[in-house]
Amino acid sequence: MPDHRRLLTLLMVAAVIWSVASAGWGGPVFHTGGAAVLGEIASALFPPELSPSFLGLALAATWQTLVFAVAGITLAIVLGLPLGVIASGAVFGPGRSSAAAIAAARFFLAAVRSIHELVWAVLFVAAFGLSSLTAILALTLPYAGILGRIYADLLNSVPQEPLQALRVSGASPFRVFLYGRLPMALPDAVGYTFYRFECAIRSAAIMSFVGIRGLGFEIQLSLNDLLFGQVWTLILFLLALVLVVDRWSSKVRRSMMS
Amino acid sequence: MNKDDNHVPPLHVLPLIEARGIAKSYPGTVALAPVSFSIEAGERVAIAGPSGSGKTTLLELLAGTVRPDQGELLLDGRDLGRLKPGRELSSLVGMINQGYDLVPHLPAIHNVLAGRLGHWSLLRSMISMVRVRPRDRRLAEAALEELGMAGKLYERTSHLSGGEQQRVAVARVMVQSPKIILADEPVSSLDPARAEDMLDLMTGLIDDSGTDGPVHAPDKALIATLHSPNLILNFFTRVIALRNGELQFDRPAGMVSVDDLDDLYLLEGNQWPEGWDHGGPDRGPDPGEAVA
Repeated sequence: MPDHRRLLTLLMVAAVIWSVASAGWGGPVFHTGGAAVLGEIASALFPPELSPSFLGLALAATWQTLVFAVAGITLAIVLGLPLGVIASGAVFGPGRSSAAAIAAARFFLAAVRSIHELVWAVLFVAAFGLSSLTAILALTLPYAGILGRIYADLLNSVPQEPLQALRVSGASPFRVFLYGRLPMALPDAVGYTFYRFECAIRSAAIMSFVGIRGLGFEIQLSLNDLLFGQVWTLILFLLALVLVVDRWSSKVRRSMMS
Repeated sequence: MNKDDNHVPPLHVLPLIEARGIAKSYPGTVALAPVSFSIEAGERVAIAGPSGSGKTTLLELLAGTVRPDQGELLLDGRDLGRLKPGRELSSLVGMINQGYDLVPHLPAIHNVLAGRLGHWSLLRSMISMVRVRPRDRRLAEAALEELGMAGKLYERTSHLSGGEQQRVAVARVMVQSPKIILADEPVSSLDPARAEDMLDLMTGLIDDSGTDGPVHAPDKALIATLHSPNLILNFFTRVIALRNGELQFDRPAGMVSVDDLDDLYLLEGNQWPEGWDHGGPDRGPDPGEAVA
């Protein structure tokens, strides 16, 4: 047994070395001036671009990204919550039609989240052009799929004894959901939704890949002009945005716990 | 409280519970062999027996959460299987759960008022979650006050002590106000002093003597599973003893001794393997001689 394991470890190490070595180091792809550029990028942080006009631009870009993220995650909750509740099967009695509804909700949630937000963005650019609607819908669909699936799982993984006690008190499945499943699953669902909101901010920022404005778009422009000071400013704005959301989410969670 | 106030209930015409040969098996085990009994209003029945004896199965059958494989179970003269879940069933049967069967995230008031869910319309259940009606708040308040928990109405249930949570569970059944009150090992997690306290409260639920609360009526029965012989004999009027899913005896508490109850456990522990169905109700004094 230990011999096998050692052999396997050896093989895996060899595979890593081989793949690193065969990546074409020193070939024409390798950027020989990389160290110098890296130094340049690092030194641009002290200080980043802080001119009022650029700060104004960064602020506007941050606002744009935040708006996309908030709208996207809000619609994702609106769509994902009811579908997640249906997919959990918690509010239905047994029966063929409820089984069909559960299967349909599960399929929809799986389908929309199996496609990355950037792919959705490409599709919606074709349909709606470079509009806000494109960015928001591209975020809404995959995030609704992810949130709905998590909501369904959370609703189904609550302790069963309190639910059974409610049933014995005469509560129907929907009332058991309202007085048992929902309150017990809520803190985790809220925490997870905030985490996904952070992810939505990152996703909204990279909507620039399909040409939609926002923080990512500005980063790309500055990078193309090799204005690393501006790039740093924009990255710091993105970081600040995520940190603010992080603080907000812990505050909400704390208040739910007490 | 309802239309029953307008006429004298026909006492002793129908037993509250009439079980005719009810039985339940699970693959590989007989959880409860056919058993028949009837329970009248005002009775306080202790179901005794070691773990795996069928106590919990019997309670589940009475609560309607498990259907018997055979036999007939009438509650207040009506077939339990035909009672509609919700209002009909919940005004007949209620279960006092162990404290940890409450929803810990809710304020105590919602865990108490959950006892009304079988009676409320869906809309009212939803609204009450957001804004409790003054009438319902007073109902929950009165129940908690009677249990010595005034002022804890909006306390988060998980912040209450174990004994307080147990009381919230009792308060839930008080506002549900069913005729048949079931309790599955209600004192197993309490120390002896609190256990007596709790049984005082529970037996008070079916006693009309001394109190004038709306939940006290002479038309109720209490059926609880528990182990302690002293508590059984002090607080209950009748003992139904089970072992290996079979009825061992069913007698008034006055005709049961502590030894009878001790034997129930002793034989099981010393003689019969877990789940072994030896077929006879004999309780010989020597654990060794009955092994076939």
